[in-house]
Amino acid sequence: MINFGYTASESRHIDMDERLHPAIEKMLHREPSLKECIACGRCAAVCTAGYFTGMQFYRLNLMAHRGLINEMKQAARACMLCGKCQMTCPKGVNIRHGVLLMSQITDVLDV
Amino acid sequence: MSQQKVAIVGAGPAGLQAAATLVSLGVSVEIFERNGSPGGHLKQWHALFPHFQNATHALNPLLNGVKGITMHLGSKVSEISHNGNTWRLLSDDGLKYESDAVLLTTGFNLFDASRKEEYGYGVYPGVVTSAQLEEMFNGQRPWPFDKSLAAPKIGFVHCVGSRDVKCGNRFCSKVCCVTAVKQAIEIRKRFSDSAVTCFYMDLRMYGLGFEELYHEAQVNHQVQFIRGRLSEASPAVSGKIQVKAEDTLMGRPLKLTLDMLVLMVGMEPAVKLTAQNNHLALGKPGFGDGFMADRELNTPEYLQVTPGLFVAGACKGPASLPDTIQDAKAVSVDVYNFLKTKS
Ligand SMILES: Cc1cc2nc3c(=O)[nH]c(=O)nc-3n(C[C@H](O)[C@H](O)[C@H](O)COP(=O)(O)OP(=O)(O)OC[C@H]3O[C@@H](n4cnc5c(N)ncnc54)[C@H](O)[C@@H]3O)c2cc1C
Ligand code: SF4
Ligand code: SF4
Ligand code: SF4
Repeated sequence: MINFGYTASESRHIDMDERLHPAIEKMLHREPSLKECIACGRCAAVCTAGYFTGMQFYRLNLMAHRGLINEMKQAARACMLCGKCQMTCPKGVNIRHGVLLMSQITDVLDV
Repeated sequence: MSQQKVAIVGAGPAGLQAAATLVSLGVSVEIFERNGSPGGHLKQWHALFPHFQNATHALNPLLNGVKGITMHLGSKVSEISHNGNTWRLLSDDGLKYESDAVLLTTGFNLFDASRKEEYGYGVYPGVVTSAQLEEMFNGQRPWPFDKSLAAPKIGFVHCVGSRDVKCGNRFCSKVCCVTAVKQAIEIRKRFSDSAVTCFYMDLRMYGLGFEELYHEAQVNHQVQFIRGRLSEASPAVSGKIQVKAEDTLMGRPLKLTLDMLVLMVGMEPAVKLTAQNNHLALGKPGFGDGFMADRELNTPEYLQVTPGLFVAGACKGPASLPDTIQDAKAVSVDVYNFLKTKS
């Protein structure tokens, strides 16, 4: 191949044609309240870990719904499971259980 | 048809409009209102969305429409009962009234903002409600900051007490998004160097002219819209308020210091109907009690045992003034048709 002096970057597309990873489907089944999130961001605004680590639960939940399982699992490790977010969530999402499942997704929910 | 009688509970826009329509159809009505004057919430507002119509100009025709109709003011209805074809209404001040039908137009109560403790309403003077801001526009309430302040910074929080399971209110109050946009523009007009920021979860510009108003706020009045729900408000130096939120579009936490924080309080039903045999108590709603449309009146059995009971306006769910007026007219025709079958 001729070298034109540049490299092609990997596509940034989120591929919504792919079926959701079965482990994510299982997770949403185990914690259905995850589907109620409206990404208002309150969980992130109060997050104890978020100030320094960039922990943003609503973003993890978006990753789950878009099938970005590896990114999600990685990011979920920042959570300290303190539960502050859950007290403030207007939709009553069981966030702690959600993050717990996310951080262990391929270990406990693998199919 | 001989003159049949209808009791109307609540002299807000819905009750006033229904009274005028029923009288024009030849029905005799009497109105019962718990407050000392008619007009409901409309009499508190300054200018109406989306065209900044003077609220008094909207209220006056409604008041003129009920001239000559008996109105019992300071009369809170606590119970209604029916015996055969006759309805009997009982108010707290001991008034009794018999009629052929009852129309409930009890409207809504504003959400009590002190229930969302993290916003500090009732604790920090700079934190006010959208209804109080209308009073400031009307000159009936002082501004919580020094009016000579060169560039006041003002924030609006959407969805206070709405769309929130922690408050028992899953529903959207429908009119507060556009009210915030309207009020933001009014602030910008009044304080030309002010900076206004709205914190929203979704912007629900459902009506004709609402989206245009939003556009006007952004383009002509430089109102900032930030997608994120405020997590808390705390006191800062010299009476200012510091707010924290997640800017969900940027994906970063945000803080901002303000001179006034306006809470867009939602609507809650004003009464809860409880049935006991042939009488109905009009009581205080509890946590999670919805509006009448999705509660008692939806069950067909309930309607069958209570023929002649009707509801109109915002007591059925959050509604704007035009929606309320249309509904009151439509329900009045239902009432009229019901009376016709009886005479
Ligand atoms: C902050 C805010 C701003 C708004 N601004 C606008 C706007 O700009 N434009 C617009 O179109 N709409 C606006 N609205 C909506 C508007 O206020 C309502 O659509 C309207 O008030 C509904 O009329 P209603 O008669 O159904 O209820 P209400 O106005 O609530 O009237 C109900 C009446 O019933 C009485 N009542 C209740 N219970 C009893 C009882 N047991 N016995 C006797 N009387 C009783 C009450 O005292 C009250 O007078 C706004 C709403 C809010 C919250
Ligand atoms: S607070 Fe609840 S609804 Fe809001 S973004 Fe977080 S999980 Fe979703
Ligand atoms: S439980 Fe996790 S996500 Fe929630 S506030 Fe605590 S650290 Fe943040
Ligand atoms: S109209 Fe807007 S501010 Fe009011 S409850 Fe609905 S989304 Fe929230």
